[in-house]
Amino acid sequence: MNLKSLLLRRSIEILVVFGIIMTGLFLLFHAAPGDPISMMVDLTMTPEDVERMVAQLGLDQPIWIQYLYYIKNFFTGNFGTSFHYGRPVIEIISERLPNTILLFTTATILAAMAGVWLGKIIAWYKGKAIDTWTTIFALVCNTLFLPWISLLFIWFFAYWVGWFPLSGMMTPEIWVNPEAGFFAKAVDVLHHMLLPLLTLFIVNTGSYLLIMRSSMLETIKEDYILTARAKGLSEKQVRNRHAAPNALLPVVTSVGLSLAFSVNGGALTETVFSWPGIGRELIFAVSNSDYPLAMASFLFIALVVLVANLIVDILYAYLDPRISY
Amino acid sequence: MTITSNRHAAYSMENVIDKKTRRSYKRQRFSAGWSLFYKNMVGKIGLYLLILFGAMALASYIPPLVDPMYHPMTGVDPLISYASPPSWRHWLGTDNIGRDIFSQLLTGARVAFLVGVSAAFISIVLGTLIGMIAGYGGRIADSLLMRFADMIMVMPSLLVILLLSVLFGQLSIWIIVILIALFRWPAVARVIRSQTLTLKKRPFVDMARVAGASHIRIIFRHILPNVLPMALLYMTFRVTSAIIVEAALAFLGFGDPNTVSWGMMLQWVWKTGHMFQAPYWLLPPGICISLITLSFYMMGRAMEEVLDPRLRKIQKADYAAS
Amino acid sequence: MKVFFLFSDFYRKTIAASFLLALCFVLASCSNGEKDGAILRIGMIEEPRTLNIWLASDANSRKVISLIYQPLYTYDPDTLDLAPWLAQSMPEYDPETISYTVQLRPAKWSDGTEVTAHDVVFTVDLIKDFQVPRYYSQWQFVKKTVAIDEKTVRFYLAEPRAIFLTRTLVNYIVPKSQWAPIAEKAKTMANPLIALMNARVEKPLGSGPYVLAQWREGAFLHLVKNDHFFGSGIEISNRKLGPHADAILFKIYGTADVGVLALKKDTIDFFWWSIQPGYIEDLEKDENTKVYLSDRSALYYMGFNVRKPPFSDPAFRRAANTVIDKNFIIERVLQGYAARMDSIVPSENLFWYEEHLPRYGQGLSRDDRIKKAHRLLSENGYTWETAPVNRSGEVVTPSRILLPDGRPMDDFTILTPPADYDPARATCGVIIQEWLKDLGIPASARPMSFGALLQRIKDRHDFDTFILGYGQLALDPDYLRSFFHSANNRPGGWNMSGYSNPEFDRLADESVQAMDPRIRQELIRKMQQVVMEDVPYIPLYNPAAIEAVGEKRFTGWEQMIDGIGNIWSICRVKSTEADM
Repeated sequence: MNLKSLLLRRSIEILVVFGIIMTGLFLLFHAAPGDPISMMVDLTMTPEDVERMVAQLGLDQPIWIQYLYYIKNFFTGNFGTSFHYGRPVIEIISERLPNTILLFTTATILAAMAGVWLGKIIAWYKGKAIDTWTTIFALVCNTLFLPWISLLFIWFFAYWVGWFPLSGMMTPEIWVNPEAGFFAKAVDVLHHMLLPLLTLFIVNTGSYLLIMRSSMLETIKEDYILTARAKGLSEKQVRNRHAAPNALLPVVTSVGLSLAFSVNGGALTETVFSWPGIGRELIFAVSNSDYPLAMASFLFIALVVLVANLIVDILYAYLDPRISY
Repeated sequence: MTITSNRHAAYSMENVIDKKTRRSYKRQRFSAGWSLFYKNMVGKIGLYLLILFGAMALASYIPPLVDPMYHPMTGVDPLISYASPPSWRHWLGTDNIGRDIFSQLLTGARVAFLVGVSAAFISIVLGTLIGMIAGYGGRIADSLLMRFADMIMVMPSLLVILLLSVLFGQLSIWIIVILIALFRWPAVARVIRSQTLTLKKRPFVDMARVAGASHIRIIFRHILPNVLPMALLYMTFRVTSAIIVEAALAFLGFGDPNTVSWGMMLQWVWKTGHMFQAPYWLLPPGICISLITLSFYMMGRAMEEVLDPRLRKIQKADYAAS
Repeated sequence: MKVFFLFSDFYRKTIAASFLLALCFVLASCSNGEKDGAILRIGMIEEPRTLNIWLASDANSRKVISLIYQPLYTYDPDTLDLAPWLAQSMPEYDPETISYTVQLRPAKWSDGTEVTAHDVVFTVDLIKDFQVPRYYSQWQFVKKTVAIDEKTVRFYLAEPRAIFLTRTLVNYIVPKSQWAPIAEKAKTMANPLIALMNARVEKPLGSGPYVLAQWREGAFLHLVKNDHFFGSGIEISNRKLGPHADAILFKIYGTADVGVLALKKDTIDFFWWSIQPGYIEDLEKDENTKVYLSDRSALYYMGFNVRKPPFSDPAFRRAANTVIDKNFIIERVLQGYAARMDSIVPSENLFWYEEHLPRYGQGLSRDDRIKKAHRLLSENGYTWETAPVNRSGEVVTPSRILLPDGRPMDDFTILTPPADYDPARATCGVIIQEWLKDLGIPASARPMSFGALLQRIKDRHDFDTFILGYGQLALDPDYLRSFFHSANNRPGGWNMSGYSNPEFDRLADESVQAMDPRIRQELIRKMQQVVMEDVPYIPLYNPAAIEAVGEKRFTGWEQMIDGIGNIWSICRVKSTEADM
């Protein structure tokens, strides 16, 4: 099967999956007890007030009409208005999603590079003490309970040592200062990013290291490595020029997928670090019954995951001609 | 006469030897595998850790017997009504309402095993069944089931479970277990399917079919035993991810309030404002969650090397997804 | 190979990037040194959702809004009586026409235009035209609002209403110049109310001490001093008003822990959030931070669904009240930072609180409470196979309780909010469940998400018992009527228990129209007696407001009911560096 038809087939599949997710999500939110209006525990809110609000928000219409509106709105790019913000949902998402992508893309890429580099070297020392201990260390890093270690890091690095800001993404003092230029602001955001980045880096590097190491060990057994050695190339050359490039494949897949899934576990990281990303917003929206916002955030997250999957598949097929679908 | 009887005796002898050697071969293979496993540093550490946690889980029944105040959920120290540091009376101190942290920690081990093992078991059973059916059933069943698996695989599972528990109120620990299992079978199903596909072409399956074995018999009698090691291997990884998901849910406050899990303990530290003041309360549950996932993960990796080096390409993303 | 080159290029870039990162880091740590003494930095737990006053329903939005929009009257911090704020003096009541006349103070909006009687009229008409939720019920009975002159406004009431003074007049006034165009436009829309509530007001025009300068969504809010603030330099309720800080920065910390760390690190001067008791010890040790403990007007209670048996039996409810150890809850769950409640009205609300009420289990030991409750129940026809108290008077584990009709009682649930929302109430549920089991009452606590909880309790009346609370109960006890008047026993109404008592209804109806505070006080106190005799709600506790400030840069916080986060504090805190 060639690349084109693969692309076509996967795209159709993704559309179907997305449609199912959309519908499922809608049904889920409608089956759930509680509505955003009755959430308001304000004694001044009378039953008449609630009725009026529900009617004006269109929440009293039959479910299928609401569903049609939902589908129509989605395809016209109108995700409705958030109940609590009173702003178009799309606006809120377009503010939050880039923050999430900025943090997690940087973390994943840095971790992948470090992991590849370390894994490549470690594989060469297979069976030696350094290999065993590095593997164990990587495993330990990889299984650290993320929110817990994040909190410890906040306490240690941000509070005790004081190297980093406690949380958030900006230092208001710098941003309200009219003299602060673009550079100062960029530096400020970076400064805030360092601690979450460090945490994610430590946890993720371990996993990339392990994948790279395993993959390298597989590759080393191949004939062409023997050939390369026989040609009299130095060990370093064999490792870097012949083994490593071929061992990269699983890492590439993993990078793609974990990028996609970073939004998943990212909700935890963002909550702990108060990073104004989409995962945190989703949790907030759901627990406050802000349906339009919650549904749209979830759909965007699902979309990111689906597209990332598609890209990984294509990349995989492109990089490894042996794979056919 | 003698010759015949001799021959007969020889034949039966042979038979006995054959059975014996076969059994001993199995034992040999097991012990070879075991020694390989045991030689593996990673596997050894994992095993020791696991034994430690197992002991903790068993020991969790003891403290409430010693004194009702050591009951992890409802027992409170009559003299202490605040978070207190470790003492002889409370080896790891007490939480803010005077409950013993050590006994909570022990109970946490039990809950972690319960959640991890049962969620993993359900997902493995599901994954193995679906994988075998897809692999064995061919075309339509295969593509339908595998598309379904793909669909579930791309779901951000933690968020979906979170969504469900927020929307439908606090879920009980068993529902959480089942939900975790429902989101964790596809990767298993994929691997089992591909194994089944190769097994299907093996002569012994053909022979069984020729001998008139039903499909169900072939699947359970001939294919299942061969894919079982792989399924078991996957189970260790599933245990890890189930424990992490439960802990994450509980940490965010969406766990089962009637169970004492490590995630719940962390949530209590966090929400009652003792996070940065009571290290004796904050550190143990976090360390335990990290170590128990580590131990299962290490066991899994060691098993993987024993079973077949070719099987090493575990779907990493699946772990990342947890 | 292609991949490899791609990656090796990556390496070079990474090295460059990490170098840049390191550089940035160094630079950033330098820039941390600068300090601006005149900015008051306030920490918040969550970002305000909106500054549209009609939409805002979350606590954080309302905090910011309270600094921008101002009411005609506010509460005096000492006496909790009304104090003229935008108004010049107390309103004049004319019983003949049932009208109140209010004289406005010389005050200006933040753009320099005068606050006039027309703004007041506009605000009231807007609320009534659009039937704005939360506000409408408070203005509904105002027949007509007239501007007598630029600075005098008169409210004509349809009938005498006690809450007009204590509740209605403390609502905010909005500027006509800004809101009239928005309202006009909203009226042309299909859903005018939604259009009004979702209208975006980039720069709200206010009459308060501060105005919004910048709101960076997801990060911070920057408010600057309103030069036209009417209170600057004048004295109200014996307090000379500022404000003294040039600006306020609201910083967002997603969790209370980090907020407290920020306080200790001196990155904020005040954390505007009632923190958990666990932090107190640590904060008090720190010489730069100070903890304020304030009374609150709050009510945390357990409610019964009195529509169904056995909860419909007052004796059953009294027994439950007896077996609940409120002091234990306060000591353990709230670490002692709460007041015991024996009435629906908090005892801190001195004027309205009734002292002579049944105390049920107070002061009894666990065994005595079980014995007393056991007596109460058996006197009313409840039986056990194994009673909680055996023949020799010892407390034992009972079998399931049998109702007066001889059937064993079904399992039932105590619904509570989830632990992430309020750990105290979730824990209370579990503890109360254990106490009820001591009587053989098969209770199980079930935390559920807030929306689901409210829907079941308030809209569908599909529940057995619940634990809820009101963090900010109005000072005026009109809520007694909302909670227990039989007219409010309907889906969506606030009489969630379904309590219905003609005597109570009569007292409540009288209290609505009682314009003489003394008479009304009497009625309200009687209402408490009636309710506490029947206990449809078991009041549990009233937690203290625990707030912390950094004393290094600002001092002079005003403590009043509900804490130091109030308009008085904001108008009066002074920088310690510069003497003004």
